[in-house]
Amino acid sequence: MPLILPPHVDEKTFQKALDAFAGVVGRQWVLATDEDRYTYMDIYAPGDAETHTPGAAVGPASAEEVQAIVRLANEYKVPLWPISRGKNLGYGAAAPVMPGTIVLDLGRMKKIIDVDERYGYCVLEPGVGFFDLFAHLQENKIPLWMSVPANAWGSVVGNALERGYGYTPYGENTRNICGMEIVLPTGDMVRTGTGAMSNSPNWHLFKYGFGPSWDQVFAQSNFGVVTKMGMWLMPEPEATLGLRMQLPNPDDVGWAIDELQPLRLNGVLQQNPSIGNSLRVVASQTPRSQWYQGDGALPDDVLRTILDEYHLGWWGIDLRLYGYDEVNEAHAKIIKAAFAKHTQQEFEVVKWHRGDPIQNSGAGVPATNALQIINWRGGRGGHVGFSPVLPANSEHVLRQFHSTKKRYEEIGVDYYGSFTLFDRYAINVNMMVYDRDDHALTKKVRDLFKVLVADAAKEGYSEYRTHISFMDDVALSFDYNNHAMRRLNETVKDALDPNGVLAPGKQGIWPKTYRGSRA
Amino acid sequence: MIPRSPLQALAPYLSFAVLMTLAISIGLGHPRAQSKAPLDPAKLAEGDKLFHARCGYCHLAGGTGTIMLGRRLGKDRALLAERTDLTAEYVKKITRVGINGMPPHTRIEVPDSELDLIAAFIARPPAARTPAAPAESHP
Repeated sequence: MPLILPPHVDEKTFQKALDAFAGVVGRQWVLATDEDRYTYMDIYAPGDAETHTPGAAVGPASAEEVQAIVRLANEYKVPLWPISRGKNLGYGAAAPVMPGTIVLDLGRMKKIIDVDERYGYCVLEPGVGFFDLFAHLQENKIPLWMSVPANAWGSVVGNALERGYGYTPYGENTRNICGMEIVLPTGDMVRTGTGAMSNSPNWHLFKYGFGPSWDQVFAQSNFGVVTKMGMWLMPEPEATLGLRMQLPNPDDVGWAIDELQPLRLNGVLQQNPSIGNSLRVVASQTPRSQWYQGDGALPDDVLRTILDEYHLGWWGIDLRLYGYDEVNEAHAKIIKAAFAKHTQQEFEVVKWHRGDPIQNSGAGVPATNALQIINWRGGRGGHVGFSPVLPANSEHVLRQFHSTKKRYEEIGVDYYGSFTLFDRYAINVNMMVYDRDDHALTKKVRDLFKVLVADAAKEGYSEYRTHISFMDDVALSFDYNNHAMRRLNETVKDALDPNGVLAPGKQGIWPKTYRGSRA
Repeated sequence: MIPRSPLQALAPYLSFAVLMTLAISIGLGHPRAQSKAPLDPAKLAEGDKLFHARCGYCHLAGGTGTIMLGRRLGKDRALLAERTDLTAEYVKKITRVGINGMPPHTRIEVPDSELDLIAAFIARPPAARTPAAPAESHP
């Protein structure tokens, strides 16, 4: 991609900034060719990748180099977009919100600094991927389990900061953060929690420190660059017990959520089960053209034919119990009794005991196979997800499900949804899969996304995370007291980042320098 | 998991832009170029190791890239490390620009020096192919 400069920066200044960066990291790690810019674009963008074209990328190898680059960015007043590994697929990948922004790629910082078996935590740099940490734990026979998202190509640190989630009892990844090292927008460095003491043994044990607790201030934020993170890991259990079932009817998701939520809250079920419509199974294994070539959304009768052929229900549910064998068996009995009120079906039971192969254990085992869904429409596939948070009960879940499916059908996109149940809320991921070169379809996807954001806002649902193209739209829905949260965020932003150098526009937070760029 | 069905191989979809890039850079349709440089077993071993570390997420047995290639081109051309029809230049270009569902890779994720070794490993001549490339899953 040809060079697009950030606002208010001329080419000479931009080039001087890159030269100065090269003085810190070496010329090799300043990436500014047309091909380099292409590699940092949002590769799965729904037809609007060029609106987020980065200006260049720079790759520091240490926190000290991050500090030096951030200071130079202030000197030359050029914006930076920090990424860990750039695999935020479906949410913008490595690309910045504002075109011309220089990607601060932390992918070279990939040290696993510490793994503490007794207290169950690790300390990581942002470039450490899920595969890297998994290999480290396996090779060193450390009996700690990770929480891993469906597509695990990315960074452990980056995923937790973006509030990604996995499916073990430690599945709310951002909740596992305990103590971080952060380079502030002026280049100063802080450590959160008791890391603010120079000699505390509690940095990765006790989250809160003394006074305000700052870890979450740096999640989904543009207030600093996280260069080190403590993260809690789960002790390997003695056994796990999996319960799987296919639910035949669309409305079955309602009673399933109603039965499971109290059991999730009281601890009978400790992990976050995902109840997904079976199109996600079909899309990962076959192309749409095998079943249907028409325009518009996949008709219900075609879907029913596919499901019947593969003996799939409308939804698939996969529960997992972790702990001591006897306790798992007792909890399974409670769950089975709850489901027996609604269905004659028996659960498929999958058992694992310590020492069995880890693949079928319910541990977080990294894989990238979830990416196969992007072949559904053929061509150069891509996907985005619209993911509102709602109260975990059938009234909200069924209303949201039916209204979203109707919108998909009106606009002509195949419905592909799941509900992941947490203790009090559910995250409803609505995936949109397309061929990036089918411009009519990608336009429909962008239209659908905007409609869904507006519909959700009317219900008071926010997204747990969103794509870079829609951050302003989602932020706008946080409207209490005439957008008081935006005023707070931007007051803090301007205080910490007076030149607006860090990630302008992330999460709809714009520094005063670039506030005119808000969509 | 659903039963494996007789899948129709997808036509090899390539965007016009990618096709043009490839045509210019490597000459599509040309016979596979054989390197005349002497083989360095240590470099091939390093390329093998880097292939596992950088590409193994998707391109070992059971990986998503292997499955996608198997559907598109047939199972005998699904495992990259066993392919005999890829030139080093092709491997390098596809790594940088991506193809179909495979994203582009930056020069920080796979530096040029590493990509040279990986590409030389994948494009290694038949004489360097014994024993067969390992195809176990990523650790």
